Amino acid sequence: MSQQVAHWLDNLLKEIEGIEVRRKSSRRVRVDVPADALPALLELLQGRAGYIHLSAISCVDWIDDDEFELVYHVWSYESHSLVSAHIRIAREPGVYLSVYDLYQPAAFFERDIHEMYGIHFEGSPNMEKFILTEWDGPPPMRKEFDSEAYINEHLSWQEYNPEWLQELVAEGGGVIIPPEEQRFSQKKK
Amino acid sequence: MSRLQKIPVVEEKKGNPLARVFDDLVRFCRSRSLFILHYCTGCGAIELPPAMTSRFDMERLGIQPMVSPRQADILLITGYVSIKTLKRVILTYEQMGSPKYVVGICSCTVNGGMYWQSYATAKKLDEYMPVDLYIAGCMPRPEAVISGLQKLMDRINSGEADSWQDYYRNYDYYLGNQQKLFGEDWQTPTDIITEAKHYELMGEGTLGQHTRLLEQHQKPLEALEMRLGHNIKEPVE
Amino acid sequence: MRPENYEAQRQPPSNEYELNFGPNHPGIEGNYALKVKLHGDIVLEAKADGGYLHRGFEKLMEQRLWIQNIALVPRICVPDPSPMELCYSMAVEELCGLKVPQRAQWLRVMQLELSRIAAHLFTFGGHAATTGMYSTMYWGVADRDLLLDLFEEFTGGRVYSIYNIPGGVRRELPEGFLQRLTETLDYIESRLPDYDNLFFKNQVFVKRAKGTGVMSREQALEWGVTGPNLRATGLAFDVRRDDPYLVYDQLAFDIPVEESGDAWARTLVRRQELMESIRILRQVVEILPDIHGPIRAPIPNPLAWNVPAGETYTRVESSKGELCYYVVSNGGPKPYRVHVRGPSSMHAVQVLEKMSVGSRIEDIAQTMFSLDACPPEVDR
Ligand code: SF4
Repeated sequence: MSQQVAHWLDNLLKEIEGIEVRRKSSRRVRVDVPADALPALLELLQGRAGYIHLSAISCVDWIDDDEFELVYHVWSYESHSLVSAHIRIAREPGVYLSVYDLYQPAAFFERDIHEMYGIHFEGSPNMEKFILTEWDGPPPMRKEFDSEAYINEHLSWQEYNPEWLQELVAEGGGVIIPPEEQRFSQKKK
Repeated sequence: MSRLQKIPVVEEKKGNPLARVFDDLVRFCRSRSLFILHYCTGCGAIELPPAMTSRFDMERLGIQPMVSPRQADILLITGYVSIKTLKRVILTYEQMGSPKYVVGICSCTVNGGMYWQSYATAKKLDEYMPVDLYIAGCMPRPEAVISGLQKLMDRINSGEADSWQDYYRNYDYYLGNQQKLFGEDWQTPTDIITEAKHYELMGEGTLGQHTRLLEQHQKPLEALEMRLGHNIKEPVE
Repeated sequence: MRPENYEAQRQPPSNEYELNFGPNHPGIEGNYALKVKLHGDIVLEAKADGGYLHRGFEKLMEQRLWIQNIALVPRICVPDPSPMELCYSMAVEELCGLKVPQRAQWLRVMQLELSRIAAHLFTFGGHAATTGMYSTMYWGVADRDLLLDLFEEFTGGRVYSIYNIPGGVRRELPEGFLQRLTETLDYIESRLPDYDNLFFKNQVFVKRAKGTGVMSREQALEWGVTGPNLRATGLAFDVRRDDPYLVYDQLAFDIPVEESGDAWARTLVRRQELMESIRILRQVVEILPDIHGPIRAPIPNPLAWNVPAGETYTRVESSKGELCYYVVSNGGPKPYRVHVRGPSSMHAVQVLEKMSVGSRIEDIAQTMFSLDACPPEVDR
């Protein structure tokens, strides 16, 4: 099986420039492509290699590089392998092409990424909000959105400090660790 | 003097003694036939089917699910309420006929539970509506749910469960919290203030700055227009 | 009651109207809504409206330690939580290069299959209730409770077991557990003929489900349908067999397939899957006593655990379809990004929208339950 995959991917390699293929295991292939070559790559994968199932589109916000990474996971029912195509686009203005005409499930993922990250997909059939219809803050999954600050501003929660605990503390018992110290892993850094 | 003040004064209840007997009877009957509104707001709802069906069998206590808010007595909040759901929950609560009881199942309704960091869920349910009883746990077992509801029955029977009156008496407080979360122009189709007047439950906290804000924004309530499709077809004879 | 006074009489006659179906509606699965446009009782257009169960899981997971997230993930899909734990644990193991001991892998298979049976029983109950057969619901929920008792015994939790941690599982089996497991399986198997008579062969259900919510295999592939819904259109694809994880390649099981692609076929596939899961569990019961060894690989101090940088995509077959996690680490104490691809994100949104068009309003509930859509997984 992996022989077949190798064969197809070798062919693909010749046809698209700037592509980098890494085989992680017999069923997982990672491909890095320049952003403008992705539609061509997906078309090839779908049309000639049988990768007809778009499993997911994932988005990663690399705020330090000022880039979004989009990952297209496509699966082939014939060769039983999964290709993850990675592209990077600029964080501003955050616009990319839709792949809806190749893969219909893309409509849902693109819509989701649009509301969570604010990336606009040109040509996607529906860019309306779906989950956050009653949300007027910034796209929440962006790294610069600080949800703790947001809830401190908008919501309140109740401190759990019952009387029996207060008595214990007054007698010198009880363990109170402030949240900063609870996070051991951060303390080390 | 101060000690004298502490002595409780038993107020003589005047009027027809039979009326009190009748009240007791009504409360007893009320506590024995409770209908739960069928609205699963969060993941605690998964323990309700076991609690309602043959194994734990809530029906033997006279508690049954009910599909429409107008006929339900208990609003069971089963878990976290996202802000989008909270709006619907408030609408539903206001539509229910009095007396009505709110039971918050799950730790998430008490203080946000494990979603305390989440931007999408409301943390304290009793800021937005009066809660009669909390059943904590993540998630509470069916036994806990049933024992909690039994406690509610006792409280109804003894007349303690009257937090629904609180919503009328302190409407300004609840409305203020709702406005803080949903925006200043938040309004519901139910006119709570008129209802409070009708039930004679106007309290000191019924009117206030938030209700004044509501009056500014409130559009007069009108019957919804009927929306029509483009291609109107003649009715077939 | 006087028709001449009826308001609508003054309007031009029309049979088209819009209806909000849910979120507070007994015919909808969980807290979810559809906006439908109808002509008479035929659906012209349907629009899914989600987000009522949104908790921002993906954001929450970025804010917590790797180990804390184990408690978070099962909440994503409430009726079938175990595959969630496993998928996340597998992703972390892959990033760290941890090798899971054999015994832990078999225990995980056991947990997954138990969870699958429980989820299917629950679905049958809900599905039967949409046709008004409440006895099936009572039975299904009661029998599921037997499985929850088993869960409670070997994991400590009834619904959210939190049994997997990266590197293995948390507990060894209690004594005599396999015996009780066999008894429960025998009991459930003996109940199946009753279920057949009550539900699967019941003409009320058969007439209602046959021909409802049909999709062809081409449509299913185009729409990204997975799991039992795909197998009901005749394509034998199962992640357990075709992209194996754990020890599924050492187990013998069939992949049930139906051809017609309607609600009836989807239900039948699930019913046969129940049998296959029981078959797998029997094999596990036989093999497990012979496998000795530790139940988890040594992991570093979980509170100070910096997972090496990298990214991975893990796939698991849950009871509803293909479940995937895309996990990215930048070498820190917390995940940099976790993307959950639940199977229902396709089924409950696009597929349901497309399949409702042209059907009758009362069939929407039927279609939704036969797709086994799980709203919390869509909203996350
Ligand atoms: S308390 Fe636990 S079970 Fe209940 S809604 Fe919250 S997370 Fe879910």
